[in-house]
Amino acid sequence: MDMWSSIAIFTAINVVAVTGVFVLTGLTGLFSLGQAAFMCIGAYTAGLLATKYGWSLAPAAVAAVLLGLVAGFIVGLPTIRLRRDYISLVTFGFGEAIAAFLNQAVNITGGAMGLSGIPRWTTLELALVSALVCLFLVWGFKNSRYGRQCLALRSDELAAAAMGINVNRVKMIAFLLSAAISAYAGVLYGFYTSYVEPVMFGWTKSAEWIIMVFFGGINSLSGAVFASIFLTALPEILRAASEWRIVAYCTIVLFILNFKPTGLFGQYEISLQKLWEVWKKKAKDVEPL
Amino acid sequence: MILETIDLNKRFGGVTAVVDFSLKLPPGAIFGIIGPNGAGKTTIFNLISGIYRPDSGKIIFQGSDITGLEQHQIARKGIGRTFQNIRLFRGLTVLENVLVALDPGAPYGLGESLLSTPRKFKIEKSLRERARHYLNIVGLDKFRDLAPESLPYGLRRKLEIARALATEPQVLLLDEPAAGLNPSEVRELISLISDLNGNQALSILLIEHRMEVVMQLCQCIYVQNFGRTLAIGPPAEIQRHPEVIKAYLGEEE
Ligand SMILES: Nc1ncnc2c1ncn2[C@@H]1O[C@H](COP(=O)(O)OP(=O)(O)O)[C@@H](O)[C@H]1O
Ligand SMILES: [Mg+2]
Repeated sequence: MDMWSSIAIFTAINVVAVTGVFVLTGLTGLFSLGQAAFMCIGAYTAGLLATKYGWSLAPAAVAAVLLGLVAGFIVGLPTIRLRRDYISLVTFGFGEAIAAFLNQAVNITGGAMGLSGIPRWTTLELALVSALVCLFLVWGFKNSRYGRQCLALRSDELAAAAMGINVNRVKMIAFLLSAAISAYAGVLYGFYTSYVEPVMFGWTKSAEWIIMVFFGGINSLSGAVFASIFLTALPEILRAASEWRIVAYCTIVLFILNFKPTGLFGQYEISLQKLWEVWKKKAKDVEPL
Repeated sequence: MILETIDLNKRFGGVTAVVDFSLKLPPGAIFGIIGPNGAGKTTIFNLISGIYRPDSGKIIFQGSDITGLEQHQIARKGIGRTFQNIRLFRGLTVLENVLVALDPGAPYGLGESLLSTPRKFKIEKSLRERARHYLNIVGLDKFRDLAPESLPYGLRRKLEIARALATEPQVLLLDEPAAGLNPSEVRELISLISDLNGNQALSILLIEHRMEVVMQLCQCIYVQNFGRTLAIGPPAEIQRHPEVIKAYLGEEE
């Protein structure tokens, strides 16, 4: 029971993080290799406020998300107008710099020893509700004038600007939204593991999320969610196979990306309406019997 | 004048793309730009719409200087355009391609987007209706849920026009809209452009290779060659212009 609830919580936290990456990579086509640094900022800020200053969950979470936004603004402002490949490079540098800083700032953060004794405030309920709320918000964003502008500039920045889209502004909004969500994922993470250290938040974590978005289907939020559930739970379930689980994991990912380059879901979205239509059709097929 | 350019110049390294280009487009007019490939026609559009900054010269739109403004600012001031090499948005449907042109000015904010408020849905609905209105103008409404890549070439050109119309321009720049169209599509295009000009009081600047299009639609034609303006005049005069015949219409000899 405990193992399952732990898997469920990690999965829910990953769903939160992946909705953030979906906004940036899926909708806007930007690759941030420093996305985990925002998670790191969230986890450390909330963790420090709770352990050293006695803050409770909600204000610590709000402060952590706000600091994630500020960091996103500082990184985004000079970066966002660069070419797409440079954005990946700069965010990569930013992510590694944050980890290095936390390693050095021993008296505040515990350095490489990590920050321990964080209260265990992330319950299964909190994690699940958080995942659902983030999904709802990102779904709203995707199906709005912002989501469409992101998709348009992902496809063709020059034509997007010719439609009157302020390309840099829309990119910045996407960047900030994803920074805030990643920081929040960090809050949940720190309050669950009760211990964080800088090495947890390297570029491989950011890359893992990007893989999840690609795996699920670059245009599909439901695909991203499915992928984050599948790809978080899978290695845990495969744990019995010990070392081979990473091999199995990579093989499955490569297999899907090779045979379905647009990801598992492609553009397809699961919606209540579609489920209803399928159900109605089934019901009709059955009727004559 | 609704649009005026004064002595525009643009070089790319050693290539002189546009030399001292001056144009006066009166409100409600259709003017054409013709000239052989590489004459600098598209570059003129790119200068007007803010993709490039001119090395020197000025662009005046509705009495105000818009030289050096950003592309999106120029679009939102009321200069719409299409692209010679069709640039539709992949990953968006036909309808969404048009919606995107309405989105920058859509009257709801980020908070309402995230929270999916009822007001957002109401505005989205009216945006959709407006977008379908533009699709109807070019006759593409029935294809609204398709991917633009799945449309035949001629219809993609029309979608480009619908999308440009949705930016609600006062001046429309059309870069070779008839390229790749068959004769019946060209006839449709001619009547579409003259409708837009008549019904919507849209001023139009048109780059075109197909003589029948320019000759039928334009009140005045600018002939470009190697970045320079060879001749300016009404179609009948241009057809008789000796330099033009030599440089451009010469194939007939
Ligand atoms: N971005 C660019 N970089 C370098 N050269 C360019 C660029 N755009 C246009 N040119 C050059 O400018 C000249 C005019 O091109 P263009 O305006 O596209 O001509 P047209 O539309 O009349 O065929 C050509 O020689 C072309 O190679
Ligand atoms: Mg051209």
